[in-house]
Amino acid sequence: MKSSSLSAGGISAGYNATDVVRGITFDLQAGEVLGVVGPNGCGKSTLLRALTGLLPLRAGSVQFGGRDLESLAPRERARFCAVQPQTETPVFDFDVRQFVLLGRHARRPFLGRAGTNDTAAVDRALDCTDMKNLAGRSIRELSDGEWQRALLARALAQETSVLLLDEPVAHLDPGHSHGVHGLLRDLARNQGKAILCVSHDLNLAAEFSDRLMFMQSGTIRALGRPDEILGDELLEEVFGCRSLRTAKNPFTGRPGVFFAS
Amino acid sequence: MKTGSRLALLSIAVIAVAGAAICIGPSKLLDAQKLWQLLSGAPRTPELERAALVLWELRLPRVLLAAAAGINLALGGLLLQTIFRNPLAEPYLLGLSSGGALGAVAALAAGATTVVWPALGGSLAVAAIVLLLCRRRIASDLPSLLLAGVALGALAQAFTTALILRFDPGAMRSILFWLMGSFAGRGWTEVWLIAPAAAMGCILVVMSHRSLDILAMGGESAHHLGVHVRALQLGGIALAAVLAALTVAACGTIGFVGLMAPHLARRFTGSGHAFTAPAAALVGAVLTVGSDLAARTILVGTELPVGVITGAVGCAFFLALLLGRR
Repeated sequence: MKSSSLSAGGISAGYNATDVVRGITFDLQAGEVLGVVGPNGCGKSTLLRALTGLLPLRAGSVQFGGRDLESLAPRERARFCAVQPQTETPVFDFDVRQFVLLGRHARRPFLGRAGTNDTAAVDRALDCTDMKNLAGRSIRELSDGEWQRALLARALAQETSVLLLDEPVAHLDPGHSHGVHGLLRDLARNQGKAILCVSHDLNLAAEFSDRLMFMQSGTIRALGRPDEILGDELLEEVFGCRSLRTAKNPFTGRPGVFFAS
Repeated sequence: MKTGSRLALLSIAVIAVAGAAICIGPSKLLDAQKLWQLLSGAPRTPELERAALVLWELRLPRVLLAAAAGINLALGGLLLQTIFRNPLAEPYLLGLSSGGALGAVAALAAGATTVVWPALGGSLAVAAIVLLLCRRRIASDLPSLLLAGVALGALAQAFTTALILRFDPGAMRSILFWLMGSFAGRGWTEVWLIAPAAAMGCILVVMSHRSLDILAMGGESAHHLGVHVRALQLGGIALAAVLAALTVAACGTIGFVGLMAPHLARRFTGSGHAFTAPAAALVGAVLTVGSDLAARTILVGTELPVGVITGAVGCAFFLALLLGRR
């Protein structure tokens, strides 16, 4: 049987004495977008940190393509899994192309210029994210939306099978949010990437994810296709808000979330 | 202007300042004309022999020592500013200079005649204690490392002050001179102590330029991009500590170069470490060799500690940096 792109088996992780996430188990397949949602402080970001090895696992295991996370050297890990952080401060006067090329670090030899592989990967990443015409622009002069797409381009340049994103559209207007989520869906469909996307926007998550994971107090409350699991009771239980209602999006037929009062 | 030609310009500045420092000095036995004669292989008159002696035994080692010290401090400052992501970081914040001073003063109190090795021992000991204290927390809590360095430095300084008070005034004066940092009275021994380290430091920093660029963007992103963050942080701090400790041992405490040089270098090149590192090394060399020249020539008949010059320049620079930040 082919192993999942990313598989988490009963992982627990946390800070100091408390486990912020406990017993998280799920698989992420190639070509799939998994949306992770939940209230503030439910452990979404901690889960990402545990999955990427930033936070040591206290229990369970994480595997990328069948390889154990803890057996991977930093460079190997960066060839399996790329992460788009929420944001980052542009400290250097790099242009967008130089910045995206940093994504090739784990695939380049220690010394020497970028090879044709690297240039080609950077070109594809810039193309995908619609950043080609900004390739020569300084990263300090980008708008919030452009900066977010540059971060995504750098992650794509890593050419990994797994892509993890931490609220990639947190600072974006609806048009750009839609663009990024559409792009993620295309990346999964066309390039077979396995994508996990932490999100605060339930509607975007429901619209663009193949499966949704609802987290509550550090555990998985529900995991499944949006039309199967999204419901008024689940929303009330997870978010503690009685005003949230689900209804079908009249345009796409997928479930959406609305305020009833 | 291209970054490459800016580096070339900086190199020319280093050569010009070094040339001036070789030709100018209290002894009139060597000047620009005689240097030219020596370089062009003119027949050796007794006068020229004396000039050669001044060149080889006094001016050249002094200029090389100053340049190597500037390079070491600048590279150390650059590494620490990148690793701590703090524009005010510099090697002495690790408590090195106070540790070196304590080693030197303790050795003098015990009747030693040379302070190089005790000073090296003292500064490396403090750096090692700081790193050992913080090795578990280094990934999660880097600033605590600097705070530990400041705390241990203060402790070493307290011991140093207590020791200094036991000396007679004459000895006190020479210790004070050493503490302020100086390139006077040093020779090839000190050059051989720190110049190879400067060369090695340049190579290591330039070789790691890409990892350092990525680390500068933040530890978490560096982790995701495949940099071994902890190893790079520990290795960089250790390298900065060794470079600075060697420099303290050879020349005493020369303040502010480690702080100023990386900032000036970034102004010159503006981008990644591939260019900023060599630029910082060149700027550091210009600063120390130039300051030493000023220290030797500003007052006729006497010599200031070079730390006085770098301190004065550094103060103005420091304030401009703080007030100019938006």
